[in-house]
Amino acid sequence: MKKLTQQDVRGLASYARIGLSDEELPQMTEDLNNIIATLEPILEYNLEGVEPTFHPIGSLSNVMREDVEVPGLTQEQALSNAPAAQDGSFLIPSILGEGGDR
Amino acid sequence: MPDMSRYYDLSVSQIREGLASGQFSACELTAAALERVDAEDQKIHAFLQVTPDLAMDAAREVDQRIAQGAFDAMGPLAGVPVAFKDNMNLTGTRTTCASRMLETYVSPYTATCVDKVLQAGGIPLGKLNMDEFAFGSTTESSAFGPTCNPWDLTRVPGGSSGGSAAAVAAGLATVTLGSDTGGSIRQPANFCGVVGVKPTYGTVSRYGVVAFGSSLDQVGPFARSVKDAALAMNALIGRDPKDCTSQDIATDFVAAAQQDVAGMRIGLVPEFMNAPGLSSQVKDRILEAAAKLEAMGAQIVEVTLPNAAASISSYYVLGPCEAFSNLARFDSVRYGYCDPGHRDLQGQYDASREIGFGKEARRRMLLGSYLLASGVYDKYYYPAQKVRTLITQDYARAYESCDVILMPASPRPAFKFGEIADPAEMYLSDVFTVSINIAGNGGMSVPVGLCPQTGMPIGAQLVCPQFKDENMFRAAAALERAFGPAGVAPDFAGRAGE
Amino acid sequence: MSSVKKLEEVLKDWEAVIGLEIHTELTTLNTKMFCGCKLEFGAQPNTHVCPVCLGLPGALPVPNKAAIESIVLAGLATNCDIEKHSMFYRKNYMYPDMAKNFQTTQGPVAFCMRGYLDLDVDGAGAKERYGLEDLAEGQTQDNITRTKDGYVAHVGITRIHMEEDAGKMIHVGGGEGRIAGATHSLVDYNRAGTPLIELVTEPDLRTPEEARLFMQKLRQIFLALGISDCSMEEGSMRCDGNVSLRRRGTTQFGTKTELKNMNSFKNLHDGLLYEICRQAEVLEEGGIIYQETRHWDPSAKRTIVMRVKETADDYRLFPEPDLAPYDLTDEWIDSVRAKLPELPDQKAARFQRDFGLSAYDARHLVAEPAVAAFFQECMDVSKGPDAQDDSTRKLAKALANLCINDITARANADAAFDLASPECPLTPARAVELVGLISSDAISSKQGKEVFAAVIELDRDPGTIVEERGMKQVSDTGAIEAVVDQVIAENQDAVARYKDGNVKLIGFFVGNCMKALKGQGNPKLINQIVAEKLNQ
Repeated sequence: MKKLTQQDVRGLASYARIGLSDEELPQMTEDLNNIIATLEPILEYNLEGVEPTFHPIGSLSNVMREDVEVPGLTQEQALSNAPAAQDGSFLIPSILGEGGDR
Repeated sequence: MPDMSRYYDLSVSQIREGLASGQFSACELTAAALERVDAEDQKIHAFLQVTPDLAMDAAREVDQRIAQGAFDAMGPLAGVPVAFKDNMNLTGTRTTCASRMLETYVSPYTATCVDKVLQAGGIPLGKLNMDEFAFGSTTESSAFGPTCNPWDLTRVPGGSSGGSAAAVAAGLATVTLGSDTGGSIRQPANFCGVVGVKPTYGTVSRYGVVAFGSSLDQVGPFARSVKDAALAMNALIGRDPKDCTSQDIATDFVAAAQQDVAGMRIGLVPEFMNAPGLSSQVKDRILEAAAKLEAMGAQIVEVTLPNAAASISSYYVLGPCEAFSNLARFDSVRYGYCDPGHRDLQGQYDASREIGFGKEARRRMLLGSYLLASGVYDKYYYPAQKVRTLITQDYARAYESCDVILMPASPRPAFKFGEIADPAEMYLSDVFTVSINIAGNGGMSVPVGLCPQTGMPIGAQLVCPQFKDENMFRAAAALERAFGPAGVAPDFAGRAGE
Repeated sequence: MSSVKKLEEVLKDWEAVIGLEIHTELTTLNTKMFCGCKLEFGAQPNTHVCPVCLGLPGALPVPNKAAIESIVLAGLATNCDIEKHSMFYRKNYMYPDMAKNFQTTQGPVAFCMRGYLDLDVDGAGAKERYGLEDLAEGQTQDNITRTKDGYVAHVGITRIHMEEDAGKMIHVGGGEGRIAGATHSLVDYNRAGTPLIELVTEPDLRTPEEARLFMQKLRQIFLALGISDCSMEEGSMRCDGNVSLRRRGTTQFGTKTELKNMNSFKNLHDGLLYEICRQAEVLEEGGIIYQETRHWDPSAKRTIVMRVKETADDYRLFPEPDLAPYDLTDEWIDSVRAKLPELPDQKAARFQRDFGLSAYDARHLVAEPAVAAFFQECMDVSKGPDAQDDSTRKLAKALANLCINDITARANADAAFDLASPECPLTPARAVELVGLISSDAISSKQGKEVFAAVIELDRDPGTIVEERGMKQVSDTGAIEAVVDQVIAENQDAVARYKDGNVKLIGFFVGNCMKALKGQGNPKLINQIVAEKLNQ
């Protein structure tokens, strides 16, 4: 298995939006590579014809609720933990670039 | 004023009797419990937050019901001092997940499991320490300092629900709740010598419990006896319309714990009993437990789990992937740590998540981010879900010839702080617990004596088929009869009054 | 851009390949997709939120059953296969309007797969299709079949999947609320978690008109199903277009751009038209089309780059563990099918069958469900269905004209005009009375327009208005002949010129007669009598 480079780990951190200092990058890279090495058994399995199990309770399906309104939070409650708020909205600094394709 | 100095090792049933017969009031009991937390918790740091106002309010409510003659109608935990792992929301309390990210977060709503315990009459003493966001097996990753094992303060209590196990072991609470994603209830119960239950996935609602691995997480109780755990289970179960994966279960766990094990088939797994890392002390105790069960009329059978070896790998793929996605919401916008002074959101994101999350949390998120990347997904995540199928099939086959499986909960008893530094090595110590989460089975740890070398408690793990949790309670009660109840850790027992 | 070649010219050399992605909010539901918060447009910010849609730690989603029914209805109405086994997935990317920083959506298998719509393209719009004149009526080529008025285009639908909408952001400090230059933004999660269905078409569309008609037809269907208010203005129905060009005769797809902000049918058409012409010009100058997202600016009439996609987005999609998978039964799907209302195409066919309308009239009549319902009521209170009866057919035709022209124009111009409201002054009975007055020659069609406006303004019956205003149409042949004789007598030189061959002068005589009759003469009769007398 090809090992992750420090550059790769930078990319992962950037995608996950987690700052990573230059000092901790080498150790983090090594840790990740060690962990990934322990995942090897997965690669060695012959899994042809095996269906994946995404949900541990196999018989569970079609769980839904009726379209009935339930009281939620007040505006004050909603904003009570906000680092910054203004005019009843969450306040954030400017956004660079664009998000996903909605 | 009754002597409340030894209330802390009363069982749930004894508390009920004491309250019903007027030996003590709920307020007296609660005041004593709060006092004890105040005096003793500084030694172990099980609590991240104590909630005296909530506790006294609840106690007054119980006393009022007693005065009204309505005590009999109260739930199974009426007047019982309880506490919750700090990843469980309770309105008006901080829910920190032992993370700097949520240091000041105050819950605007209550988790279903917490609500059920309170509805059952539980007295909420506070919130308990844990590994940050439940990533870990020692509580060392708590941003607010580790919890110590009440049996030996130089040793870890296990984790991630280390505070929940330690609080019960030190007699600071009668029942606590924890969550278990890969062993986070069973391993600390084992390390602290108490009963810890991870029910079948779907038995207890996850609503309001901060998610780690959504397809693996399950909530369960810690207690000092199987019966107390059973009473707590009776209060916790039931379908929650707010959790799609919760199920309608109507088991009476107290009744199950009263049945004997005659005719029960107990499975032993050679792959586990002969696992390279398993210490002889632990192995001996498990074999002794098997022998005692056999002596009580159970039948010991050998069952095999050929794919169990892959469960660690599978777990360390699935867990981090789900965690990566579950922890994305901590972004400094709606709540959580927000690094000040940033002019663009991206900078604020990066810095807030770098500073707000500890190292292990960041490591798991980076791992998840890698494992879900296109191209990598097909190599690890998808196969891991297939391995999950194989492991589930293994268990299903094993249960054809046994009712419950007996195995270690961890390779060795509680170790010292700092003893295991390499995360990869630490992960491998989950070898006996993770496959149960992967298959969604129930599992619980019950004390089966002490390690002759260290004097630390050792637990046996009982594992049952999905929604057959009564099976493990039956066997657990038998082991408890054979080995004696858990009891409060020696250094915390008997002191107050002596 | 200096100059944009005309679309017709461009499409001679280039084939435009267009696919649409259409997002529709299920606004007619009571609550959000995964929580019980009320759906309401325009409420105070963050007042319709709860732990689930705010993405608070520990909250879990529970799907709205009515939303699943709605998407299955949408699939059945657009000829999709309903997939019994599907799951929700998490689409992971961090953006502040998305509370969980993942969007709950569907994976490779959506509830609805492999559908289609057939579009009737007629009139001027049909001219956008290159090579149509080479086809004979009934002849099929590629995905189109030539018809009398134009053609029918068969447009594939790849899938319709269920997902949730994001919150809304207001960008402060930049120009016109745009993100560029903003110093900070405000986030409101009221919209977060609104049930959203995304329909993706096959790249089967070839002209902006086809794209416009697809969107229009889909909107008609969704309105008939009652699953959304389909307001493009308020954003409850939104359309993105993927456009690429390839040389006529080649099969390889070109690089596509994604076009956003086409929030009206006109913008959809004009935006695509512009983008096709822009790409052609770039390609003809030897330039390169970059895979990018472009924003249609209707006031500047051009598209501008929003975001260049250097690498494919990696959303780290994986099955949502918090939601149980779906295992729909035939019985359940049939129970949803039983709720299907009459769809626009079926209604149009019935109008032709019952009332003898032309295909064209029927098609345009059903474009707006409220208008179609009004027409139906008019027929119900008067004739009832009988296509064999000449008077029924005539009445239907007259009512169809009133609906397609006057009523639609009024509805477009006047937001307060609501045909479906019980307070609407234009009742079916009054509409029938009005067309009756015109067809019986009691008033002229020009007077009819005045009466139409007055009915709505004064809330009075057409007959009353005609009487009050003395608007009787003079259809008395004797009276008209007298006026015509007088006008001819007074304009003998004009008569001479007419007889010399200047036949256009007939208008002059008719106009003078009408003036003499104070505008109340029956124009048909005047025309007829003037012509007779001049030609004597």
